[in-house]
Amino acid sequence: MKLVKYFALAAIVLSASTGAYAKDIKPWHDGFKCKDCHDQGLKSFPSDQSCLQCHDVDDLADATKRGGDEEWQNPHNNLHYGKELPCIECHSEHQKPETYQPLCLDCHTFKYEKFKG
Amino acid sequence: MERRNFLKMAGIGAITMGTAPAAFSATVCDKDVAFDKSYDVVIIGSGFAGLSAAIEAKRNGAKDVVIFEKLSMFGGNSAINGGLFAAPNTPMQAREGVNDSIETMVQDQLTAGRGIADEALLRHVATNAAEALQLTIEAGAEYHPYLQQLGGHSVARTYQTSVSCGAGITQPLLKMARKEGAVTQNRAKFEGFILNANNQVVGVKIREGYYFGREDSGKVINVKANRGVIMATGGFAQNIKLRMAQDPTLNHEVGCTNVEGSTGEGMLAMFKLGAVPVHLAHIQSGPWASPDEGGFGYVSNYSIYNFPHSVAIHCATGKRFMNEIADRKTRADAELGCRDQDGNPLPPIMITSYEHASQHPNCKKVLKYNVGWKFDSLEQIAERFNVPLTALEEQITEYNGYVKAGKDPQFGKIMDMAKDKYIKAPYTVVRLWPKAHYCQGGVQVNVNAEVLDSMSGEHIKGLYAAGEVTGGVHGVSRLGSCSIPECMVMGMTAGRNVMKG
Ligand SMILES: Cc1cc2nc3c(=O)[nH]c(=O)nc-3n(C[C@H](O)[C@H](O)[C@H](O)COP(=O)(O)OP(=O)(O)OC[C@H]3O[C@@H](n4cnc5c(N)ncnc54)[C@H](O)[C@@H]3O)c2cc1C
Repeated sequence: MKLVKYFALAAIVLSASTGAYAKDIKPWHDGFKCKDCHDQGLKSFPSDQSCLQCHDVDDLADATKRGGDEEWQNPHNNLHYGKELPCIECHSEHQKPETYQPLCLDCHTFKYEKFKG
Repeated sequence: MERRNFLKMAGIGAITMGTAPAAFSATVCDKDVAFDKSYDVVIIGSGFAGLSAAIEAKRNGAKDVVIFEKLSMFGGNSAINGGLFAAPNTPMQAREGVNDSIETMVQDQLTAGRGIADEALLRHVATNAAEALQLTIEAGAEYHPYLQQLGGHSVARTYQTSVSCGAGITQPLLKMARKEGAVTQNRAKFEGFILNANNQVVGVKIREGYYFGREDSGKVINVKANRGVIMATGGFAQNIKLRMAQDPTLNHEVGCTNVEGSTGEGMLAMFKLGAVPVHLAHIQSGPWASPDEGGFGYVSNYSIYNFPHSVAIHCATGKRFMNEIADRKTRADAELGCRDQDGNPLPPIMITSYEHASQHPNCKKVLKYNVGWKFDSLEQIAERFNVPLTALEEQITEYNGYVKAGKDPQFGKIMDMAKDKYIKAPYTVVRLWPKAHYCQGGVQVNVNAEVLDSMSGEHIKGLYAAGEVTGGVHGVSRLGSCSIPECMVMGMTAGRNVMKG
């Protein structure tokens, strides 16, 4: 899949440069430097476009596609916000997964078993 | 982001902590500011009211229109809403032979408003509701092929989007607004008005790059509004301090159905400017909400659909305790009275025949996500929820007699929609507990969506407001499905009038 290719490529390129992290990041982003994501300065959250440097919204929506009456429970193309929900509403690099949860769970008891954080 | 940490309070579901609004810039005079951006029409808030205002402003000749939205996502409460839209004299009513009129809808709302609703505004909304419904259909909204009769409505006049959610309207409207040429900017928080020497609103302060809850994030810019500013910032049910100042019973233990952005600072800024505060203490709780999920979830729409042909039972007595389709305040108050011997909340249960419940798509969801349950017998229900069985059996038999007679001597429920719908096995059950839901109060507007000044009684030049941020329209208790028509009609009205002004 296209996505995985981006990932692998980015990881190889980036791990070649130095990487002293102030914070832990998710293992699948190993090798990233702060500035790779923090495009609005290190003290700000990454912009809503930042993740899209490597990830493609349509690919993501495809990867998490659901069928039948769950069609609109696709987090990357959902009933309430379509494909426009910013990544950080559900995902976080530096926090422990136990301390946050996907936005949907504010109102629903969905189980996203493959959600990694 | 560290937010939405769920706290389970006394088994009464999830609550979201309100965030205190930031310190606001005082209103400033345009002589002292340099403008960073300029638009014909500036709209604050991206729900039904803001989106419909943007579309109408564009269609009435605005060169450029911008919608500023402080959250990361567009749509506000409108995007998580139940998609229930009341209107009189609609095509579906004609098809189903429902005899309705603008006047009947106004009268139903005046009754629920308990004498303090704004009749002129209600009539303006009812008169234009069918046109607003048509605009949503033009934008691409789709509706279930049947009407519903919600609590307090004397006839079936409520459409519901086929996805049973307001997003079935906001998503098409957002597309349409953009297609018309409106600019939509998220993470952009309104922080105050800019006036000229004649006290006319000529611009706003906007914090760009704003992250909700981080009040000093981003940067404040000055935005010029050549024709006017339309405030469509919604209600304040998530601002616990402010809602408790109005009604101390709505403390942090009371859940809330709203998005986290419903904190009311847009309304407060208008008060500072001189707008008339109306009915702030009338904050409505939703009697169809469930303590077993957060916010509106799936149960709310499930219950709204099923109340007409269901019974609500007090678990301690096994008896009904309310008219299941009374207006919201009557029902929420009755539910709050369901307590155990120690006075702790004892959420009542709603029992429906599975045969009827399963007609609504949410039934499947409710069962699947374990926020409602199916039972083969009353014994099972009594055991699960600790209800006295004999009393429950007697109550169901009695109620089925009312279904047959078409008359409910116990609580006076209108039994039209319950015709032939006996309560029989298998059953589905959900638990009920009210959540803070809707602010009837807000700033006073007239039928032109102009914001009135509390000292002069005149309208504040350059300032319009529409949607839940306005107050007094509905009086004590808004009827279900009457906010969408109000937000849409008043948003459209504001969008048209800002171009006349
Ligand atoms: C869960 C739920 C279900 C509902 N179901 C129904 C229903 O089925 N039928 C019905 O008629 N009514 C329903 N209601 C009520 C109705 O949805 C709301 O009253 C309506 O959506 C309000 O629309 P609005 O455009 O006024 O505000 P909203 O849709 O709330 O939009 C206001 C927007 O303004 C933004 N904002 C606030 N302050 C600022 C600021 N300072 N700067 C920038 N932006 C700001 C907010 O973030 C928000 O996005 C429901 C409400 C809820 C919460």
